[in-house]
Amino acid sequence: MLLVAMVSQQSWAAGMRGAAKSALAPFESGLTAAAAQLDRVTSGLGDMSTLRAQNQQLLADDAALRRQVVELNAAAQENATLRQALDFERSFGHRMVAAQVVGLGPDGFSRTLEIDRGTSDGVQAGMIVTTGAGLLGRVSEAGPHAAIVQTLADPQSRVNVYLSRSGLQGTVVGGPTALQLQVEHSIGVVASNGEWALTSGVGGGYPRGLVVGEIASVTHHDAATFDDAALAWVNDPTNISLVLVITDFTPS
Amino acid sequence: MKPAIGAALMLGAALVQVTWAPRIEILGAFPNLVLIAVVALTWTRGVRTGLAWACVGGLLLDLTAAGPVGPHALGLLTGAYLTGFWTRNLDRQSSIQVALAAAVSTVAYSLVLVGSDDTLGLPVPPLSVVAELTLAACAYNAILMPAALALLRKARLTAAEAV
Repeated sequence: MLLVAMVSQQSWAAGMRGAAKSALAPFESGLTAAAAQLDRVTSGLGDMSTLRAQNQQLLADDAALRRQVVELNAAAQENATLRQALDFERSFGHRMVAAQVVGLGPDGFSRTLEIDRGTSDGVQAGMIVTTGAGLLGRVSEAGPHAAIVQTLADPQSRVNVYLSRSGLQGTVVGGPTALQLQVEHSIGVVASNGEWALTSGVGGGYPRGLVVGEIASVTHHDAATFDDAALAWVNDPTNISLVLVITDFTPS
Repeated sequence: MKPAIGAALMLGAALVQVTWAPRIEILGAFPNLVLIAVVALTWTRGVRTGLAWACVGGLLLDLTAAGPVGPHALGLLTGAYLTGFWTRNLDRQSSIQVALAAAVSTVAYSLVLVGSDDTLGLPVPPLSVVAELTLAACAYNAILMPAALALLRKARLTAAEAV
């Protein structure tokens, strides 16, 4: 099995590996949609159980109305997400491809997402992935009709950022429970709670100006060259359904 | 177990693993339903069956994960082997035993996963993060394991009665 892993890791096998991984994407997409439907149904059932003691006719009417409200709310939420994504694309000025999230990484060590766009849609490994709210991660592998995105929550993820008020530079490191920010010391300036962290563009890995998150707490170290901060990420990978892949930015 | 039923079980477990399981994350860890299914099959059907389905389930997980094809399969094979070894040396089976077997298999699976990535020259998370996630996943899988085993036994019983 290790031999299979070694062989499949080779660059000449990337195409076959991508094609094989794309094969499961439609199933994942279907199950993700089913899970969303199940969530709606279970929330409706929960409400109905409290109403069962009341009049049966009222219960039926209420359930029907509630279902409609849930559906309308879901549609409104999706509409808002799409509107936010469209606004972001217009204001950001880069070319992007919208993609649906069809799956999440199977283990806790690599926080990844699977999206339903691949090389046939212009998505390539290394491209930056965002949502309307801000930076999400980077495409790590791309098959013909699906791609895998390494999110910022991945423990191996690193992003250079600057802080909105103090202008201090730092590096965001992924983690299993929260994003950690290491802020460089500067004389007379300290990072504070509520500051926004945006990509600095240093290193050429990400375009400058993408929102990453807000500082939730700062731990100052007088003896060290940097302070530690916990960052409240603008994205929650388990609740994202739509992402945008920036297709015209090449990381250096 | 008929191959079609086993394949459906593994495909279902793998798809639920990559769509629903990460949503019930606690302390950064979430259950591994394929590992739980493999341990349950090994416990009830023996090590040969467990190893076979570990290979299938592992390859399915590999197809949904980033990186090369193989590490998840290798990790699950190790878990199935250890569970088989556990059952062979057991006089009396209990819920605690199967929960412990799931916990040990989770540790082995996680170590093999990280170890194979390291061997292949891929980036691996820091040791403290590995330990934290592995322990949380161990507890999660161990808690779910007795219920999963009971469910599998009930399904077998229902199937036997139907025949």
